[in-house]
Amino acid sequence: MATIDCTLAITSDIVSGLAVNKTMTLKKADSTVGLELTTGLARRSFTSTNQVDLLTAGSGISADVTADKSAKLYIKNVGSDSTKYFTIGKGNSSGSGTETTIDSSGTAYYRIGRLYGGDWMLIPWDAATTTGDITIQPSSATKMDVEYMVFYE
Amino acid sequence: MATTTAALTISSSDLVGDALSLSTSKELHKADTTIGVDQTSGIGCIYLTATTNIDLFGAIVDTPAFEGKSHWVYINNKSETPTEYATITIGDKVIGRLYAGDWMFMPWDTAEDTHGDNKHADIELAPSVATGMSFEYAMFHEGFQLTTAV
Repeated sequence: MATIDCTLAITSDIVSGLAVNKTMTLKKADSTVGLELTTGLARRSFTSTNQVDLLTAGSGISADVTADKSAKLYIKNVGSDSTKYFTIGKGNSSGSGTETTIDSSGTAYYRIGRLYGGDWMLIPWDAATTTGDITIQPSSATKMDVEYMVFYE
Repeated sequence: MATTTAALTISSSDLVGDALSLSTSKELHKADTTIGVDQTSGIGCIYLTATTNIDLFGAIVDTPAFEGKSHWVYINNKSETPTEYATITIGDKVIGRLYAGDWMFMPWDTAEDTHGDNKHADIELAPSVATGMSFEYAMFHEGFQLTTAV
């Protein structure tokens, strides 16, 4: 059993006194036992605006990241450009420069959001087979880099 | 101009052979700019006593007026019981489960659904038990469509 701590600290002056400071210790599903597997920190470069899978469900480590398991996914746009972004989604990637049609019918794809230069996200990940892929689409064909890491059981 | 900063630290002394330590921090900006987001929902807290799937953040748009704008969502499951979790979905697509003490932080595009079933890009939450679970949540953003009064 490993101990992995993730701390989020949000400070803001939009309104006075607004702050978040939370630490979570990553645990296996329904248990107090810590997660003990990771992909390690990976880095990938993109030179086209094609929408592709960053992580493919049902294969490799993702085969173990099912609904009844625990997993956390970290992604960061390591660029610094405030106008270039990655569109992150969940479901089927198109493989082309046209984003998969957004459809909540339960099978295809839903867009999550954009990561501009320096932005990061940390989410739980249910890598359901065929619908659980994490997709990524750069906004520019000029080289863009992303870092990502999965913690899982 | 407001300044909102989200910082993350991930650490472990025993996951891999050497200590893992990752730290990153980023100001939350309006889309395509270096101007800070200047609106927030504030930090909310809810206590749910049913397993009903609810809209925690409803993207109440029939036209995507705020699609592509900057929105950031924070959700924390405040439960201390390891078996109590919440299933988080976006537009009916499951993102994952937040177990006791877990939090998540992600961008939210409020993208319009083309399926025509009015599910839009709602951020939904379903508790795993009906015995009462508390959640903390917040959104930081540059604009969000509100419901017209009736």
